[in-house]
Amino acid sequence: MIKYLFIFYLSFLLAFDAQAYIDPGSGSIIIQAIIGVIATVGTTATIYWRKIKDFFKKDKKKDDDEK
Amino acid sequence: MMMKNDTFKESSSFRDNFGSVYHSNGNILRTVNKVAEKNFHTLNEKNIFKESIDKGFLIDFEILDKDQHPDSLKDYNIILKAQKISFISYPYEWTFNQLKDAAIHHLNFQIFLLKLNCVLRDASAFNIQFYKGKPVFIDIMSLEEYKNGEYWSGYKQFCENFLNPLLLGHLKNIKHNDLFRGSIEGLDTVLLNKLLSFKDKISFNIFTHVVLQSKFLQQDINNPKATREKKNKLKKFKKTSYLYMLNQLKTWISKLKLKENKSIWGKYEKCNTYTEKSLSEKEKIVSQFVKKIQPNKLIDLGCNNGQFCKIALENGAKEVVGVDFDINAISNTYRMSKKDNFNLLPLFIDLSNPSPNQGWRQLERQGFKERFKCDAAIALAIEHHLIIGKNVPIDEFIDWIIDFGKFGLLEFIPKEDETIKDMLSTKEDIYFDYSQKNFEKELSKKANIINTYTLADSKRILYEYKTL
Repeated sequence: MIKYLFIFYLSFLLAFDAQAYIDPGSGSIIIQAIIGVIATVGTTATIYWRKIKDFFKKDKKKDDDEK
Repeated sequence: MMMKNDTFKESSSFRDNFGSVYHSNGNILRTVNKVAEKNFHTLNEKNIFKESIDKGFLIDFEILDKDQHPDSLKDYNIILKAQKISFISYPYEWTFNQLKDAAIHHLNFQIFLLKLNCVLRDASAFNIQFYKGKPVFIDIMSLEEYKNGEYWSGYKQFCENFLNPLLLGHLKNIKHNDLFRGSIEGLDTVLLNKLLSFKDKISFNIFTHVVLQSKFLQQDINNPKATREKKNKLKKFKKTSYLYMLNQLKTWISKLKLKENKSIWGKYEKCNTYTEKSLSEKEKIVSQFVKKIQPNKLIDLGCNNGQFCKIALENGAKEVVGVDFDINAISNTYRMSKKDNFNLLPLFIDLSNPSPNQGWRQLERQGFKERFKCDAAIALAIEHHLIIGKNVPIDEFIDWIIDFGKFGLLEFIPKEDETIKDMLSTKEDIYFDYSQKNFEKELSKKANIINTYTLADSKRILYEYKTL
């Protein structure tokens, strides 16, 4: 899986030549959609990560209290 | 009262269909076109303009009464009189930190507006100017209501005008000025992608904003129909994602620094000590000169690290522009000006090849000299850079310099000075007419020499003049 991800990443690192100049805005809008998805995934992940951390913190606190 | 008809359109004001800029009897007027009236009223009723001005984001303006509209602009229902900015400057004349501050100003303004359900419809760096030392957004007609689910229409332009030039400085230590001046739309993302190394690209931010964007822009060029179809299928852009993107860019840009900052400071220290004795004498002469003239606008040609700009401001000059062709020196000037909150505009200008008239009809962006007419000019230790360094004839140099202001302070460096000896050690001395006598003769043809000061330990001469 990591290997494929790396190949995917590499494929974008190659530069291409520009041929013409037509409606260049669309590409920049698509990238915003991608960043938007990353933001949503990132935010969701952060919320769940926090929940997991809180869960273990509570557990630890319980253990400490019991001691 | 009807104004006299001395009204003409600003030559750079043609791209926007929602309004235009006019010069009218020394004022800056912004007309609101019929199609934009509704948007203007909505934002005005919601107090968006007032709040933006109060927060220091937007240039101050007032709505003119109908009877104050100039005759030639009678067709407009709304005309705004905007706060005039004395010196219009362009991003290719700014230092890395000036561009960075302008970028952060733009993002902060966007974030502020988006929370009030408004946006800026574009992201041109030319819409930001430095007023009293701080960046301010000047294009009032660029504000519009936020439409639910819309994408950031100015994103591509923001990258080209702000992000990419800053990345060039941050990653490659290449100043953006020459590239930006060559292409006034900014630095193309596809071009930047080609300039970056593999190592530079191993970063999430670079990968998304440069590498991926470049890839999609390429697709757009090679197969526009498919890209447009892909774009049309996109879901709405969440407001939270929009804000995330603005904040993420802001955090990233605030961390960008010019590489090898240490060497800049090293040079600064060195420059500052080697003329210490004559420096204090010069400082006295400059302060006397400024005290006497009390100029509203003063230009320091070859300002180095800005010490004479500071003296001019402390002695009564209201506004000062300092220009230098050394990017490190001008960066130091901006750093000092920002720290002390001076009304000083430092600009990177090579006086032997200053910003030209360019853009549409070569009138869109004005040349350096057209924009910087002042009351007074100081030019200390620069004439030899042009006359000896660039072979500029003495009479042409005098013609050129006296045009900056009615009053001036000009330093002449004789041939026996160490600086000129150094310059001539690597090139043939073909400067047969380079003498104090000739310099004075040419200056006298164009100006009255009011005072002449000979610096004690160097035989350098300072001429105080008033043009004829």
